[in-house]
Amino acid sequence: MQTMNVSITHVHGTSWLHRLSPLAKLTWVVAIMAFAFASYNPWPLFAIAILGLFAGLTAGILPQMGRVLLVFAPVTASMLVIQAIAPAICSSDCTPAVQLGPLTIYQEGISHGLSLMSRVLAMEVIAIAVLMTTHPSDLFSALARIHTPYVLNFMLAMTLQLIPVLQREVQIVLSAQRSRGMKSTGFGSLLPSFVPVFAGAFERVQQLSISLESRAFGSTGAKTSYRQISFGPIDKIVAVAGIVVGVLGTAAGLLLWSAGQTPVIILPVWLTVVIFVAAAIMFVGVIVIAVVTLARS
Amino acid sequence: MTATAPVVGHPSHVTDGPMIVVREARYVYPRGRVVALDGLSIDVPAGQIVGIAGQNGSGKTTLTKLLNGLLKPTSGSVTVNGMNTGDWPVQKMAAHVGYVFQNPNHQLFATTVEEELKFGPRNLGVPDEEIPERVAEAVEFFGLQDVLALHPYRISFPLRKLVGIASIFTMRPRVFILDEPTTGQDHRTTGVINRLITRLGERGDTVVCVSHDMPLLADVSERLLVMWNAQLIADGTPREVFSDREVMGRTHLTPPQITQLSLRIPSRAGRPAALSVDELVDDIRGVSPAAGA
Repeated sequence: MQTMNVSITHVHGTSWLHRLSPLAKLTWVVAIMAFAFASYNPWPLFAIAILGLFAGLTAGILPQMGRVLLVFAPVTASMLVIQAIAPAICSSDCTPAVQLGPLTIYQEGISHGLSLMSRVLAMEVIAIAVLMTTHPSDLFSALARIHTPYVLNFMLAMTLQLIPVLQREVQIVLSAQRSRGMKSTGFGSLLPSFVPVFAGAFERVQQLSISLESRAFGSTGAKTSYRQISFGPIDKIVAVAGIVVGVLGTAAGLLLWSAGQTPVIILPVWLTVVIFVAAAIMFVGVIVIAVVTLARS
Repeated sequence: MTATAPVVGHPSHVTDGPMIVVREARYVYPRGRVVALDGLSIDVPAGQIVGIAGQNGSGKTTLTKLLNGLLKPTSGSVTVNGMNTGDWPVQKMAAHVGYVFQNPNHQLFATTVEEELKFGPRNLGVPDEEIPERVAEAVEFFGLQDVLALHPYRISFPLRKLVGIASIFTMRPRVFILDEPTTGQDHRTTGVINRLITRLGERGDTVVCVSHDMPLLADVSERLLVMWNAQLIADGTPREVFSDREVMGRTHLTPPQITQLSLRIPSRAGRPAALSVDELVDDIRGVSPAAGA
């Protein structure tokens, strides 16, 4: 059985995004995160997400990015669905937009849900694009260069490197289950595989910590790095552009927000229904599939 | 009422022909287009114990995964107990081919050893009243009386390995595939596994054992296959294969030390290689009066 390979790991390549310094890319990640938290308006954030996807397309990683986004899609969609029917920003004075059977969809809810969704989507797309085009060791070196604490830096790098290892373990465990007659396909099959995978992960962590200690991890003094990262003129321009966009965007977002310039986005009824139904299918559909598979397994 | 023979695919069906038939099997991994097996053909009669040796990446594991249907051949065919593995899901093949993974941690899921032994038969739909009988047989066969109520992760690694094999044993497959059964095992457990394989063969089960442990293969195998670069380059008795200097040199395999010694004794030149200390001692006693026979 060939299973879909979904993982936020480095994808080999030589595109412009791969070649860009990790420092420049990290600048953009921080900038977009700051802007996403500061902005209430979803449209610029959706635009950033689309630009991020375009960057992924030019870097040749769009299919891999798409698969990861698809996995996160139910979580992203849940924000819109929950906010649409139970808005957090208004209680009794919400404006009903449309009635779908027993469900009332509120204008403020859709507006707030779109805002939350756009924030998550913008951050997801940029972070995935950067992680997929940056070798974990380069990310490690970049973080070390901006004086991130060594232990924190190491934890991040190890987490990223463990993902493909655990993914391989899951595949082996699923093969072992099927070899013992178990119908291990779909979501339901993943639950029994957690025991051996996590038991193996704990064992690995234990061995890793002993191995690290035996190789002088935690010793004081400056560390050397095998991989050196470059930071050329183009990287500097991209990094400065990231800082400018981040600072200006965040300032503009916060100013508009504090000035009360965050109007509720009123969409046509048909568009409201289309957006809500699409998000509900994405959110509820996955839950139903998971429950049915669990019941059958 | 007349009894009818079980059809192909039924758990109790036993083929009239060879238990394993591989015809021009080729397997190319989808990623990277790596040819892992390149046109391999073998017949294995029922009840034979077959060892497979070769360097890492030579195609041994790919071949065993083709045998239980975890991988389907890119071209050619693989038939086990009359079932073409390309036509049957792994879950159905599991009743006929038991695959023991190298690392027992990958195949143990239950909370007690006893539950672990019941896991496979339950998946196969074995009636409830038959399962205790199978578990009892496995407990006796593998000597697991003292660990039955324990969690599989709370017993020692060698014992866990035995539980892994026992968990396949309770499924009563016609063919056992053992992937590196002695890796990481102490001397005692290696001996136990050695005897188990021999007993499985005596019961009429077909055993395919992939290993880098040459003394084990010399001890238990009736037939030894050597893989090299996705191809089968030797197929014979362990004695024949270990005596083939060209095959040993090309694959960087090292025969058991006693076999090497037997091949180097000048007075034994031209005689078959010995596979055990006893064999060599008997042989020397027979050919060399000076040895005190």
